[in-house]
Amino acid sequence: MPFTAKSGKFNAKINTVAVGTGEKAITLGGENVLPFYSFDDAIENAPKVGIEITDGGMESEPECVQKLYEGCTTVVDMAKKAVTFEGVDFLSIRLEGGDPNGKNRPTEELVQIVKDVADAVDVPLVVCGCKNVEKDAELLDKAAAALEGRNAMILAAKEENYKTVGASAGLAYKQVVGAESAVDINLAKQLNVLLTQLGVDSKTIVMNAGTAAVGYGFDYVISTLDRVKAAALSQGDATLQMPIITPVASETWTVKESTATEEDMPAWGNLEERGIDMEIETAAAVLAAGSDAVILKHPESVRTIKAMITELI
Amino acid sequence: MFKVTFKFENGNETVGYALEGESLLDVAKKMNVAIDAPCNGNAACGKCKVKLVGGELDTKKTSHISDEEFAQGWRLACVSKINADVEVMVPDIASAYRSRMKVADLSSAEEIQIFEKTKADMSEAGIEFENDLDIITVTMEEPSLDDTMPDNERLTWAVDAACGVEKVKLPFAVLQKLSETLRKSRFELKCIIRKASEKVEVLDIFPATEEPRICGLAVDIGTTTVSALIIDMRTGEILAKGSSGNGQIRYGADVINRIIEQQKEGGRKKLQDAIIKETLNPMIHQMCGSIGIKPRQIYRACIAGNTTMNHLLLGVDADPVRMEPFIPTFFETNSVYAHDLGLHLYEHARVIMSPNIGSYVGGDITAGTLASTIWNKEEMSLFIDLGTNGELVFGNSEFMMSCACSAGPAFEGGDISCGMRATDGAIEACAIDKETMEPTFTIVGDEGQKPVGLCGSGIIDVISELFRCGIISPKGKFIREGARVRHDQYGMGSYVLAYKKDAASVKDIEITEVDIDSFIRAKGAIFSAIRVMLQSLDFDVSMIDHVYVAGGIGSGINMRNAVSIGMFPDIEMEKFTYIGNSSLSGAYAILFSSEAEAKVSEVAHNMTYLELSNEPTYMDEFVASCFLPHTDAGLFPSVTMK
Repeated sequence: MPFTAKSGKFNAKINTVAVGTGEKAITLGGENVLPFYSFDDAIENAPKVGIEITDGGMESEPECVQKLYEGCTTVVDMAKKAVTFEGVDFLSIRLEGGDPNGKNRPTEELVQIVKDVADAVDVPLVVCGCKNVEKDAELLDKAAAALEGRNAMILAAKEENYKTVGASAGLAYKQVVGAESAVDINLAKQLNVLLTQLGVDSKTIVMNAGTAAVGYGFDYVISTLDRVKAAALSQGDATLQMPIITPVASETWTVKESTATEEDMPAWGNLEERGIDMEIETAAAVLAAGSDAVILKHPESVRTIKAMITELI
Repeated sequence: MFKVTFKFENGNETVGYALEGESLLDVAKKMNVAIDAPCNGNAACGKCKVKLVGGELDTKKTSHISDEEFAQGWRLACVSKINADVEVMVPDIASAYRSRMKVADLSSAEEIQIFEKTKADMSEAGIEFENDLDIITVTMEEPSLDDTMPDNERLTWAVDAACGVEKVKLPFAVLQKLSETLRKSRFELKCIIRKASEKVEVLDIFPATEEPRICGLAVDIGTTTVSALIIDMRTGEILAKGSSGNGQIRYGADVINRIIEQQKEGGRKKLQDAIIKETLNPMIHQMCGSIGIKPRQIYRACIAGNTTMNHLLLGVDADPVRMEPFIPTFFETNSVYAHDLGLHLYEHARVIMSPNIGSYVGGDITAGTLASTIWNKEEMSLFIDLGTNGELVFGNSEFMMSCACSAGPAFEGGDISCGMRATDGAIEACAIDKETMEPTFTIVGDEGQKPVGLCGSGIIDVISELFRCGIISPKGKFIREGARVRHDQYGMGSYVLAYKKDAASVKDIEITEVDIDSFIRAKGAIFSAIRVMLQSLDFDVSMIDHVYVAGGIGSGINMRNAVSIGMFPDIEMEKFTYIGNSSLSGAYAILFSSEAEAKVSEVAHNMTYLELSNEPTYMDEFVASCFLPHTDAGLFPSVTMK
């Protein structure tokens, strides 16, 4: 008897969420198979790759990244350059300077940068906060307002500030709401429930179920993503069927593998290669575990991950 | 050295001396002044409030004391250090657990019914309500120069003749008073005896003209509350019932803090004294006084308590209970007598300890399981004892599985800012109007009693109602504004249950997001334990035929609301039964019936203990359960989502 492979496609599927407007708009999710299981059924929307810049501009970038943005002086210059790199689907701007424990830049200043960047590029935008929940509530609210009409993704609403961020991004300005939780399937689900109960359309929510750089408790990240996908597809859990976005760059470029100098760690080899490797390895792993989009920093990582996705789908 | 004076509302005072820098709470402990400190002096609970009336204290103001209260002199004893002579007033609210000792010669009809029901259920299960204590009358020949048998042999012969058993044991206590009693009664005695198959023990002797009574004492030693019964060992009649706070409370509200306390030098003695000298003996005297018997007429006792309480009562080291691999000193013991412990009973009275089966599943649960008779049913039953530790037993006549989870003191009002135990002034039930957001209450106490705080069943109602009315989110955060909803300067929400003017409290009675969070964790611990235990057996909640809810905390419990907040599984309401203090009913049965005593041992041997901390899924289930009603809404189909 001939062997007939049984299709592993599920009856349930991941929500499709559009980000951005016009020709460059992207769609996340829509799959009804496990990550990259294109042999089970067609994967409608391949995972997307974003490139990240920050409000700090050139200054806050590692040296190896700076040289690729040579000639840029402002954040807007960098944004224009970033979208030209091969494989970039969307642009992410991280407002890390807003952190009250850091530079504590005023909200107005940061929102102005977001506006200027938005005016300069036409790719879909993701706005990431500064990780301080109180400041983010204010910052992301204003950013959502400034980007009205761009269908941008606001990353992210957390349990502590979901009411402000969710209401602003999801209800008032009709942006895509990022829902961030800390590597726990139940907490991820609870936040989705809270956001939908607030009135946010579940079809406009994208999860950031938490991440880490490879080797830094990363097994928890993978098992969480695995279980989220399993619950969404095999159990048809509608409260977990949101696509997943994983900000990789902000995790991998701060660990010692990406920062220790060659003088300090001669045995570890080239610093730039190490940084890129950490980023690629982390991104590849979260994509294989179910992430529908990743945010990276180094153009070389973007190109490589994009090539991997294209090869596999 | 500074002079420290504790004044009490009844006018008494206690004076002692302390070193500079000692905490007032520690000084109080040393001087045996009872100040309620469920958190053991970590400034976490805010219960150890005292009022500064003279001198001064080096104190810190914590969030538990409002500016207004501080101005009036209220201080937390745990964060106040001695730096001068000082006089403080210890309010009743702080010493409530001791003044709460209640004794009634006859229990309420409802309570008696619970014991009668237990007796009936157990009789139906084939347990005979009889014991081996009896009174016999023996008449002996008076001795003469021709009949020189000594008194003890004379009595032994007589008892042998009366009972047909050769081996007769006369304890030292009987020997001591034998000569006098025999001669006073002209060699006609009534003997209280214990009959075993091949021997008889004469426990006590009386002149035949007296009418001796055989009484027994059944005690449930809870971490928070101790309750007891005195019964007639021949008829089973309940003669007196008493309850009191556990005197060990001042050494910490939960078992872990108490185990840590007993580790300190002299700690075991202190904790043993707190339960025996300060709690049980006064209770025994009061109860005996109320029915006109003497403590020495109590010839047997049965004690049901959790494993830690049993260890602390016996004064044996409880530390291994807390430390991995969690091995207690004993599960069962059969040779403890009143004089070993200093209990004020007949000195040779046997003290039966209901057997423990694990470090966190103790004699209270085996006694409760015995009383619930789930060991005799074919249907699947779930037994839940809601205490400081939540304990569960699931099974039927063929198998039983038990586990324990740490619910924390929330069910008994600990860890809750306006929490209190179910005493006078406790809000035990609550409903909230969805439109106006105004609450209505049922309050423990006499008519017209003003509210003081919330007890466990009240908290269940309040949270369930706040959730039903859409005032709090499934995470327990306030999402609806109203006259009674407030936010402090940090944005923390709270709901005012009763304003100061309507309450018998020094401030508004309110429930905060922190309180709700503590409670959600407690209910999450219970529900996730139920889930994990059932999953480990490959069972589903739909397979549960009966749920027996026990615990003093549960008396006013609204099962519907408990399901609405996801504390109990969403199954038909008819399956739930509240069985009161099953530990005490079980102790009563063990005390009165020898067959029950044998049975509880068998039940204990047949129970498997599941250590939840070894279950990899427990933590995950716990996080999923810390949501109203649950992260997986599909588990609670009857709870309509708002």
